[in-house]
Amino acid sequence: MKLPLSWLLEHVALTCSIDAIAKALTDLGIEVEGIDYPAASIEGVLVGQIQSMQPHPNADRLRLLQVDVAGDQPLAIVCGASNMVEGDKIALATVGTYLPGDFKIKRGKIRGEVSLGMCCSEVELGLADEAEGILILDSSTEVGSDVSAYLGLETAILDLSITPNRGDCMSVYGLARELGAYFDVPLTLKSLEKTVFDADVATPVVHIEDQDDCPLYMAQQIEGVVLTDSPQWLAQRLQACGMRTVNGVVDVMNYVMLEIGQPMHAFDRAMVKGDLYVRRANAESMKGLDERELSLNAEHLVVADDQEVIAVAGVMGSLSSGVTAQTTSLILESAVFQAARVSTVARQYGSVTEASMRFERGVDRAQTAVALQRATSLITTLFGGRVSAVEQCGDGEWTKHKIQFPISAIAKRLGIDVPESTDLVLQGMGFSIERDESTIRVSVPAHRHDVRLVEDVIEEYARIYGYDHIPTVLPAIAMNVAAPAPKRLLDHVVAQGFTQVINYAFISEKQQRLFSSSPEKDVRLLNPISAEMSVMRHSLFPSLLANAQYNLNRQQSRVCLVEEGRSYFSEEKGFQEVNQLSLLWAGEAGSDRWYQDAKSVDFFDVKGVVETVLKQMGQLPRWQACDDIQGLQAGQTAVWQQGKRRVAVLAKVSRGIAKSYDLDGDVFVAEINLDMLSQSKKPAFKALAQHPSVTRDLVFLFSNACVVDDILAVARKASGKALQDVRIFDRYDGQGVAEGFVSLGIRLTLQANDRTLQQAEVDDIAKKVVTMMAKKFSAQQR
Amino acid sequence: MSSFDIDLESKLHELQQAALEAFSTAANLAALDTLRVQFLGKRGQLTALLKGVGQLSAEQRPLFGKKVNTVKAVLATCLEQTQVLLHQKEEEAAIQAQRVDVTLEGRSQYVGQMHPLQIGLDEISGIFASMGFEIAHGPEIEDEFHNFDALNIPPEHPARAMHDTFFVKSDEKRVLRTHTSPVQIRSMLAGEPPLAIVAPGRVYRCDYDVTHSPMFHQVEVFLVDKDVNMAQLKGVLSQFLSIFFGKKVPLRMRPSYFPFTEPSAEVDIGCVFCDGKGCRVCKDTGWLEVLGSGMIHPNVLRSADIDPEVYSGFAFGLGVERMVMLKYGIPDLRLFFENDVRFLQEVGR
Repeated sequence: MKLPLSWLLEHVALTCSIDAIAKALTDLGIEVEGIDYPAASIEGVLVGQIQSMQPHPNADRLRLLQVDVAGDQPLAIVCGASNMVEGDKIALATVGTYLPGDFKIKRGKIRGEVSLGMCCSEVELGLADEAEGILILDSSTEVGSDVSAYLGLETAILDLSITPNRGDCMSVYGLARELGAYFDVPLTLKSLEKTVFDADVATPVVHIEDQDDCPLYMAQQIEGVVLTDSPQWLAQRLQACGMRTVNGVVDVMNYVMLEIGQPMHAFDRAMVKGDLYVRRANAESMKGLDERELSLNAEHLVVADDQEVIAVAGVMGSLSSGVTAQTTSLILESAVFQAARVSTVARQYGSVTEASMRFERGVDRAQTAVALQRATSLITTLFGGRVSAVEQCGDGEWTKHKIQFPISAIAKRLGIDVPESTDLVLQGMGFSIERDESTIRVSVPAHRHDVRLVEDVIEEYARIYGYDHIPTVLPAIAMNVAAPAPKRLLDHVVAQGFTQVINYAFISEKQQRLFSSSPEKDVRLLNPISAEMSVMRHSLFPSLLANAQYNLNRQQSRVCLVEEGRSYFSEEKGFQEVNQLSLLWAGEAGSDRWYQDAKSVDFFDVKGVVETVLKQMGQLPRWQACDDIQGLQAGQTAVWQQGKRRVAVLAKVSRGIAKSYDLDGDVFVAEINLDMLSQSKKPAFKALAQHPSVTRDLVFLFSNACVVDDILAVARKASGKALQDVRIFDRYDGQGVAEGFVSLGIRLTLQANDRTLQQAEVDDIAKKVVTMMAKKFSAQQR
Repeated sequence: MSSFDIDLESKLHELQQAALEAFSTAANLAALDTLRVQFLGKRGQLTALLKGVGQLSAEQRPLFGKKVNTVKAVLATCLEQTQVLLHQKEEEAAIQAQRVDVTLEGRSQYVGQMHPLQIGLDEISGIFASMGFEIAHGPEIEDEFHNFDALNIPPEHPARAMHDTFFVKSDEKRVLRTHTSPVQIRSMLAGEPPLAIVAPGRVYRCDYDVTHSPMFHQVEVFLVDKDVNMAQLKGVLSQFLSIFFGKKVPLRMRPSYFPFTEPSAEVDIGCVFCDGKGCRVCKDTGWLEVLGSGMIHPNVLRSADIDPEVYSGFAFGLGVERMVMLKYGIPDLRLFFENDVRFLQEVGR
């Protein structure tokens, strides 16, 4: 909320600087988001009078002016506008002036003619977004005076952020009360002019259906109003507070709300049929002032007349009962509506207004009557009219909330004692405080709806005394000492040269379907930012592909990305969140260098990384081919299953999908379900072998249909206990190998714990392997 | 001496001269070795000469033997010196042959990087873990009880509307958690005080512009025990912030409002860019708002079955993006989610 300094000072005559006021507000818990200095922003812009005007000798569109600013002599000015005549008073920015936008006025020569300033339009003064020609001032304005004074610009406007608990600070009066108490300066109590009631003016009749919804409703009728625009001082105040002017009556309503904090509403009496009823809505509708049709139900609190709804309580009046330029008689409303009733409808219809915000935060029942009187007085003063007696429906009385607690509770919560003198400030803010040796008893004023518990009062003490006084103490934490976190799979993948990305967890439905054919498992957002971000992802691949596209488009030749994140599923047992690690490799595996030729990534580059990092986690997966995973290319897809569940998959992305991301080369991805990666225990240390190992290489011709995993399993079984390692050391299917066959070299590493293996033993094992290969795979030794 | 003597002696002398000559001109170690065999080997010239000793008289023999030994020693010395010399030469030649252009680029490894936010999350969690806080996680698809109600944010509360909540299509009402505070409730319901928890994670708000991301990261930190007070909150915060920023940063607490804490405080630190002197980043205030904090509201403790008469606690929530932006001088929130490798590699380095 915006707080013009002049308005604040009307209510409390503070003598300190604006910075001191800002500091005090901050210390009190009211955030100062900024301070505007409108008058200073056009300092140096003076009222000038055009003494003469001649065409510019070198430019058709420019004029040469002599402008009097009450200096030694008139100033020569070149001006491009044409809406002025000799004798006009104008706003002249003199040399050295900084205009809004950090625009400095310099002595200049325009097409050969000297110009000692600039005639300003409202745009240049920062008053409007567009203007036709320069600003022509009232002829009675004193030449040489500051234009800021003429315009009534505020010296300072504080931009405040009021927390939702402090509805009482959403008014000039409420802020004055806080600051007055803080600086110990009494409030300037405005004596309201006593309204003279006219017995001939009918008092409106109000009925409240349920006082829980509306504890208090006050109304007053004014007849014979002659509506004009608001006077300048009022319009300027509203503008300074960021509100636009509508018409005289509506402006007064807003003015009183900003000043006192009580939202007000005015009905055109002529459009209201009969009495006023504050009640829940039936199934009915109302066309609001914003011309939207609101359909209402029993959740909504409304003000109605004998026939129809004329306002949604605390939010908006109806279009038909609104005040217009033709209005001559009014009903003014000053009421207390229950916060929840107002917020429900305001949120539902997205019509959060200045009024609804104040009702939601709770208004001050002590001000309901005051605000009405202030509004009536302003309207009759400005626009005339005769005033009815005040109709009051509901309870004008209320009981003050009382809180009692031991004095020691303050230090217990804050870690420091608060001096008793703090009571005085709180009393200045409306609290009644009594204390004896050990106890404090507090009565909470009506405007502090937020103070209900002991803790609330303690916060009051803390903020008044100042949070700065709270000392810094380290607690003795009962430590749950955990072992240092073990390395994550992510750490290992990054160590393999992958760069971690973080993507939004929501993707488009189209992206979702690339790798998931289970729309019934989608977790959808009801209010997504856009269709592109509407479904919680099943897979991290779509975003990784988009990342690859982004980076390959930026001249990255090798893109290795890893993401750790969740995927989300709607299952029968509820929503499931699965922790995943996914990686993607696109582009080169190695670049063109003096020592190597460039090489595109292939399946085994990625598999090598996945195997390495899983090994570092103590995992030795068994991979199987799998040809029917959505989005992945058959024949280049491997899965690691545990029972029926898939722990990991690594694959080439199907060509169609890669193409849809403009990726021409092969793209490989892998996904590992982190929740299924059991923590492998570190095996106990095993003594290093004392005896040398022996390797034996055997080369066979296998049919293409044989799978290495099976071949190695057979080799393992045939080799028995002495086998330390078995691997394929050579693979060849070129010239000399018949079509449909492949030559595989198998290297056995053999070792015994208790002795050096004898040649004969090794021969024996090799023989067994050869026999088994022949038997199981019909493989010929080469 | 007889003529035999003279003959033998001159032969001996000739042999010495010839050997010395041959050794000194040997081209390499292998040639030298051939020469060694030729002159000094078992069947070499010196041995052959020694065979003539039989012709000498008994008195002459020892004299001749002495002379032969002298020649042997001279030749051995020469051989050794030549060997050293040739060895040096060969080493040098080998070194010259192995000369490389040391300015050529080495065979490099690809280096990966953690995402800056991961670095921040790990740093933050790590600092609190080292202070004795335990790491906890919670679901991102939350119910309204844990995300709002239990945190003292009832349905009509203005703060609830200010949360810009994403709602999930579901029979029960579910939301994407708007903060990591629900982990506070879950941890309190699952355990008994004393509880010292740090809960990092992703959170979601339906707000998307230059300074807002619909998904971002928070770390919730809280302590519940007997006699926890605000001074301790300040202590833990000040300790954490100084470690995180790697220097003693001034800390300011301002009264504020959060439904789940009472008293509540916004926490500012002295601007880390200008050391509080005032700059563009801190808008000339010298302060940067970094987090919200406070003493856990008694209603929150109660909804997590903890007796506020016995226990109290503090809690605060850190915005990871903001902390990382401040620490690493990253100007724009959007950079985090663009995932431009050049940016990711730059910051992580």
